[in-house]
Amino acid sequence: MIDIRISDCNKSYGTLKVLKNIDLEIERGEFIVLLGPSGCGKSTLLHIVAGLDRLTSGTIEIGGRDVTDVEPKDRDIAMVFQSYALYPTMSVRRNMEFGLRMRGKPLSEIRPLVEEKARMLHIDHLLDRRPSQLSGGQRQRVAIGRALVRDPKVFLFDEPLSNLDAKLRASMRTEIKKLHQSLGTTAIYVTHDQLEAMTLATRMVVMKAGEIQQVGKPEEVYHRPVNLFVADFLGNPGMNFMRGQIRLDGGRVSADVGAAMLPLDGYAFAMPPSDGQAVVVGLRPESVQPATGQAPAGSEPFVLTLKPLLTEHTGSDNLVVLEMGDQEIVGKFPTDPPPKLGEPVTVGFDLSRLSVFDAATERRL
Amino acid sequence: MRRFFQRHVSQIALSPSLALIAIFLYGFIGYTVAVSTTTSKAFPRFDNFVGLEQYWRLFHTPRWHVAFTNMFLFGGLFLLVTISLGLIIAILIDQRIRAESFFRSIVMYPMAMSFVVTGIIWQWLLNPTLGIEVMVHQLGFESFRLDWLTNPNTVIWALVIAAFWQGCGLVMALFLAGLRGIDEDIWKAAAVDGIPAWRVYVFIVIPMLAPVFLTVVVLLSLSIVRAFDLVVALTNGGPGVSSDLPSVFMFDMAFRRTNLGLSAASAVVMLGTVLAILIPYLYAETRERA
Repeated sequence: MIDIRISDCNKSYGTLKVLKNIDLEIERGEFIVLLGPSGCGKSTLLHIVAGLDRLTSGTIEIGGRDVTDVEPKDRDIAMVFQSYALYPTMSVRRNMEFGLRMRGKPLSEIRPLVEEKARMLHIDHLLDRRPSQLSGGQRQRVAIGRALVRDPKVFLFDEPLSNLDAKLRASMRTEIKKLHQSLGTTAIYVTHDQLEAMTLATRMVVMKAGEIQQVGKPEEVYHRPVNLFVADFLGNPGMNFMRGQIRLDGGRVSADVGAAMLPLDGYAFAMPPSDGQAVVVGLRPESVQPATGQAPAGSEPFVLTLKPLLTEHTGSDNLVVLEMGDQEIVGKFPTDPPPKLGEPVTVGFDLSRLSVFDAATERRL
Repeated sequence: MRRFFQRHVSQIALSPSLALIAIFLYGFIGYTVAVSTTTSKAFPRFDNFVGLEQYWRLFHTPRWHVAFTNMFLFGGLFLLVTISLGLIIAILIDQRIRAESFFRSIVMYPMAMSFVVTGIIWQWLLNPTLGIEVMVHQLGFESFRLDWLTNPNTVIWALVIAAFWQGCGLVMALFLAGLRGIDEDIWKAAAVDGIPAWRVYVFIVIPMLAPVFLTVVVLLSLSIVRAFDLVVALTNGGPGVSSDLPSVFMFDMAFRRTNLGLSAASAVVMLGTVLAILIPYLYAETRERA
């Protein structure tokens, strides 16, 4: 069942187009993450769903009702902000109560609700404190609690974890995920942190310059990016890109990337390639590993002997920069044994994970 | 010797200004207190100590009572009018209006003028023979009367209006800065929560401006105690002594009535009033820091 439908939505400030023909359908209970670099329009899109921004053209439906011209308070949504946006002059309890009190709900009904949600978020011992007396993580819990008591149809999160330190961010991320699993409420979550997007999303939406690039399950977007931008934006360390040309040779397809001919027989082309077509071949570092002698299941073994130029020890892995003709690629190697610089090693490529893009259109082939 | 300089360089650098402050500020405060215990007339003399007699005389001078009461009356009205209207104007300007800087300049402009100019402008405007009254008469409303400057009961309002006209810009600017400092997201959160704008102001935004209120009250209070030029230019204390303020009284006693002792006593009482305002403020400020 479709819970939110965004149809042909445009937003411009003067001549600047912030959103261009956005179409998106969100099923009930989905956790949608809008991901993109700053200025891509993801926050604007969220604000439009919230009703805090008016769209220039298009329609928004929530729960089957056209809410394009409906005030935020009547959209049955709750929102969590990056800066928490707690009311600083009120106690935590009043912060959580205030919205419901303004809706004329009797205090006798609000009180137990607030207590319940506070227990759920482990902030019940903080109810009588002021926001200024809380840590960042506690404040964000209160902000989430304030959204929870409203029991809305849709939760909107605007980069809620960006102000927290790395460790707290990871634990809050897990909690938001648990919360969503137990409540099952539809949520839209804006972030520029791909780790948050990958871990939280049931489906993610990658945006750039006001346009949706790709919508899909996180693993699908990660492994089958539709264009060079998405491929490059996701992944840390970033995807390896090798420039080359398609070679068609008697029914066999391969990509000539200078130092090697990568066989593409197993590659599912979306459109038939032509001989000599300029392409960019993408392969994630974790698909470039020391050859073990056996290829990953279901793919033919492909090995090259390459010279390590540089290693970066990240703790769990060794990122090894390998010389490949006049290009360089990064492989994710185990830390033990450490590769010796300048001494060629046999490297296995997992070709089932290849992505091939047209060099001109930058689209996936 | 070198080590002494190295260790005390900050004290040495500050000592000239500290010495100047000690002499010209605290020294002369002490001097004034000393003068207030004598019967000095045109010039200070210290050979006729009378203790607190000048204070006793001060509080038995009807004109001082008028001046002192006026300070609180004028001060109270001025604070009330300036803060409430200044806040309202700041809120109106904060509504993302067109030509905001134009309106801001209009409200701020009187601040650029000296109180003497303000006083003269309003003296002309309120003068029954050439100001607003004449203008309204020429429009045909012959019965219109605007005698604030000549009526001892309403003259204080003339002072309040002129002082408001001058002080409103500063108050508006402070409140506007405070309003602009409020996180946009608070407004968005309130919009999603469904809280009407006036309630957001009353329950959330205005309480958040508490530090600004404190600053405004202290600044305005000090200007009330200091108010002198405005009264001299606008009413000269009149009619009679009905718009006298302590500073005018003090000046009059010292330089026209050659009664330096009594004038010094009134200056000390004014200092006491200022301290009564400042000390709680400083106390609150330092406690907040700690």
